[in-house]
Amino acid sequence: MNPITPIINGMKITLKHMFMKPVTLQYPTERPKVSQRFRGLHGLKVSHSKAKCVACYLCPTVCPAKCITVEAGEDANHDKFASVYEIDMLRCIFCGYCVEACPVDALKMTGEFELANYNRQDFIYSKERLLEK
Amino acid sequence: MVNLTIDDKQVTAPKTATIYEAAKLNGIKIPILCHDKKLKPFGACRMCLVEVEQMKGRQIPACTTPATEGMIIRTATPDIVKARKMVLELLLLNHPLDCPVCDKSGDCDLQNLTYEYKVNSNRFTDAKFNHQIDYNNPLIERDMNRCVLCGKCARICDEIVGFGALTFIDRGIETKIGCEFDDALNCEFCGSCISVCPVGSLLARPFKHKARFWAMTKHKSVCSYCGTGCNLTLGVKDNKVLTTIYDEDQGFHKGQLCVRGRFGYQFINSDKRLTKPLVRKNGALTESTWDEALELVAARLKGGSSVAALATPRLTNEELALFKKLLVENVGTKNFDHAAGYAHAALTEGFVRSFGTSASSASILDVQKSDLLLVIKTDTYETHPVVGFEINMAVKNKDVKISILSDKRGKLSKLPGANTLVHLPGNEVVILNAIAKTIIDEKLVDASVAGVTGYADLEKMLSAYSADAVASQCGLTAADIKKMASDYATAEKALIIFPVGQAYPGHNADLASAAANLAILTGKYGKEGCGVLCLSEKNNSQGAVDMGFYAQDGGFNAAQILDACSTGAVKTLFIAGENPLVSYPDRKKVKAALDAVEFMVVSELFLTETAAMADVVLPVCSFAEKEGTFTSTDRRVQYIKPAIRAIGQTRTDFKVFADLISKLGGTAPVTAAAQFEEIAATTAGYKALSHVSLRKDGAYAPATASPALVAVQAVPVPAAETGKLSLVVGSVLYHSGTLSQNGEGPMHVCPEGYIELSRPDASASKIAENDIITVSTTNGSMQLKAKVTSRMPAGVVFAPYHFSDAPINTVWNGAAVTSVTLAK
Ligand code: SF4
Ligand code: SF4
Ligand code: SF4
Ligand code: SF4
Ligand code: SF4
Ligand code: FES
Repeated sequence: MNPITPIINGMKITLKHMFMKPVTLQYPTERPKVSQRFRGLHGLKVSHSKAKCVACYLCPTVCPAKCITVEAGEDANHDKFASVYEIDMLRCIFCGYCVEACPVDALKMTGEFELANYNRQDFIYSKERLLEK
Repeated sequence: MVNLTIDDKQVTAPKTATIYEAAKLNGIKIPILCHDKKLKPFGACRMCLVEVEQMKGRQIPACTTPATEGMIIRTATPDIVKARKMVLELLLLNHPLDCPVCDKSGDCDLQNLTYEYKVNSNRFTDAKFNHQIDYNNPLIERDMNRCVLCGKCARICDEIVGFGALTFIDRGIETKIGCEFDDALNCEFCGSCISVCPVGSLLARPFKHKARFWAMTKHKSVCSYCGTGCNLTLGVKDNKVLTTIYDEDQGFHKGQLCVRGRFGYQFINSDKRLTKPLVRKNGALTESTWDEALELVAARLKGGSSVAALATPRLTNEELALFKKLLVENVGTKNFDHAAGYAHAALTEGFVRSFGTSASSASILDVQKSDLLLVIKTDTYETHPVVGFEINMAVKNKDVKISILSDKRGKLSKLPGANTLVHLPGNEVVILNAIAKTIIDEKLVDASVAGVTGYADLEKMLSAYSADAVASQCGLTAADIKKMASDYATAEKALIIFPVGQAYPGHNADLASAAANLAILTGKYGKEGCGVLCLSEKNNSQGAVDMGFYAQDGGFNAAQILDACSTGAVKTLFIAGENPLVSYPDRKKVKAALDAVEFMVVSELFLTETAAMADVVLPVCSFAEKEGTFTSTDRRVQYIKPAIRAIGQTRTDFKVFADLISKLGGTAPVTAAAQFEEIAATTAGYKALSHVSLRKDGAYAPATASPALVAVQAVPVPAAETGKLSLVVGSVLYHSGTLSQNGEGPMHVCPEGYIELSRPDASASKIAENDIITVSTTNGSMQLKAKVTSRMPAGVVFAPYHFSDAPINTVWNGAAVTSVTLAK
């Protein structure tokens, strides 16, 4: 083969790409559009202005990283609710099992992926932080 | 034995077995929902359907059908599976299916069966139940929407507990389990119904929503309240004991517990637990370190016989033996005692002289094997409820007769055919002597008496106790006494039961000997279903006696120790777990003694009234945090191991005593197991035992009786002065000692002290229920809430002794019967 051909072929590709839409995102000024099925930060769904979670303890049971802490309470109507709901994001492996286990569809995983923080303590997401806004 | 074929397997089973039991014995599982091995067969749910070839393949319930010779049974044909599925579909039809919020989830028979039989849809439709949920009491929630009408709760409450709080009400689809007049549940709260309920209809409220069943580790242990020695399973999560879990295979009682055992565990993780040593500095108890505290104590223990000790019989055998070793060998004192110095006298003096051993001559298992039970005081049910269950079952299922000698009525006297003699308080020994006299007079004496010493003396002494002579003094008729005597003497097997404890000073050595005399005269001891069973008060009272932790060879007993504190002869007092200020008689005297003693160290779980007066307070572990053995009232030695890590800086009493021994220059065994080896080598009956051999079930420490008849004169009880009432103190069902004040369950049901009086007395002094009345004696006076009941005879009032806020020892000086006046 003519030794010049590969170089020409290579230059063709280079030239083509010079006129294509760039792949790189200029994060943080540009932001990705995550897929529907993306497994980011958890969100606790709300219904009738209350968290839907009934503190059944299934998500902490199924969680392979053991990062969910639930404590159940009883409200004035004797209904069960989560008085504590915490996820330790440093341990979470974003497997989504918790969402799958939830019998009342109270939990979802959002597109939120920007979870960096300065203190370890800040990675423990309390119920207030997890409630869907 | 019968031979039968189950699922093509040739098996044999006892003649009395049902098909279900035959299958179970041979490892074949038949699903059940309404059956419980403790209860009579019922056949309510039809989950256990099987096919029997001889019955033309008809489907019959395995739990109620007796297995017969040659039966060919199939337990899982497609037809049966279909039928079981249908049963489940019908059960789930009106069921709320709220597993996510139901506490039973994970331990629910209905849930498990639904899962096993893959019932994931329902062919039928109907409305869900809409019954009102009973939240009226703080211990048991009743949600009848989830009920599968298996009837187990109603049956256990009736057959075993003997309370009968629950029953089926209404008919057809409306049927539900309810209380009388469909009202709120108000019972003795033993929780037995919760433990057998296969679904989430009955739930323990103190545990509600705390954790899922599967998230807890289950630790086998032994109840730390009374001497019955029931076995428990503690449910633990995050180093907290969250509940007691029912295990139908545990102990002689098959997992049954009373309200204290089931609902009284909260003291273990109570916020009020002491976690750091306290040392008195400038008059106030301040937090300190173990080093400082133990140094101080060790220095003060170098006082020889000016040191004295009181220990609670809630400590383990190992701890009591080590404490004794510390006192005798390293301190050099014989002044130590437990249980106020008198609650163990029935064993350490009474049985020693009557049977030659400080142990009862019968076990709890004899209750159901007997023909007649002679129970002294109906309080037996209150002090030892699970023994009470045994009595219920004996009377109801085994046709055992029951005679009761008591100063008031109680639950036991409601048993079918119970013969209760309500006598004037304090006359137990007189009546027992009169019974003995009758036995001799009516020639009912057993031939075996010939070889027993003391017969002539006894006969002579008894001449003053003919039933006719003493009946009126006891408030009975001679005929009643004679009938009780002949009932007892003519029964094939008979067992005498009486409780002892700090609230029962009258149940002393004399009472024990008087009762023993009856057994010896009629030859009713040393045989199955016979003997005299002394029910000791605390979980390890018998152990404390076996370890010899009481005044011997000239050592001071508890009363003398307190006197010596006042006079200054005792300068250092070590109190391990006792709370004399509340639970010993004569508060004024106890207070003066504890005030006077130079140095007092208290090892405790809580800052009790006594601990608050101490110079050093050592925070120690509860039973759930330690290893050791407890000896139950019938000498079952049972092993416990830690269920949780020690709370805060607490240490076990064992470690405290061991450290003090080393500080005093001695050597102490390092482990409880090593200490137990020493115990086994030196304690009668413990020889064959070791921690390893006790690990699984515990074992009886045998006691051999060498009988002697002892002539015991009754101490006359001064008749109540006119216008005054006779006060008897005692225990109530919901409490045990003063410890149960830290159990939420007991405190929910019985939160405060009271004085119980009869209706005639109440109307005579115009006292109504819940009135606050002033109770006065020569000792002092105090205010108590009135409780008017029909079980008290006129002229007699009763008060429990457990309460720090209403310490009955303000007015009670330790007499069996005290004259009191009540004023509004
Ligand atoms: S599984 Fe769902 S309902 Fe249960 S605790 Fe988790 S979020 Fe709450
Ligand atoms: S009783 Fe059993 S099946 Fe019914 S809701 Fe509770 S856990 Fe579920
Ligand atoms: S708690 Fe005990 S006494 Fe009360 S209803 Fe249940 S079984 Fe009966
Ligand atoms: S409440 Fe429980 S134990 Fe009682 S009948 Fe219903 S399901 Fe059975
Ligand atoms: S208090 Fe006594 S009767 Fe009740 S559970 Fe404990 S050991 Fe058993
Ligand atoms: S278990 Fe046999 S009918 Fe319920």
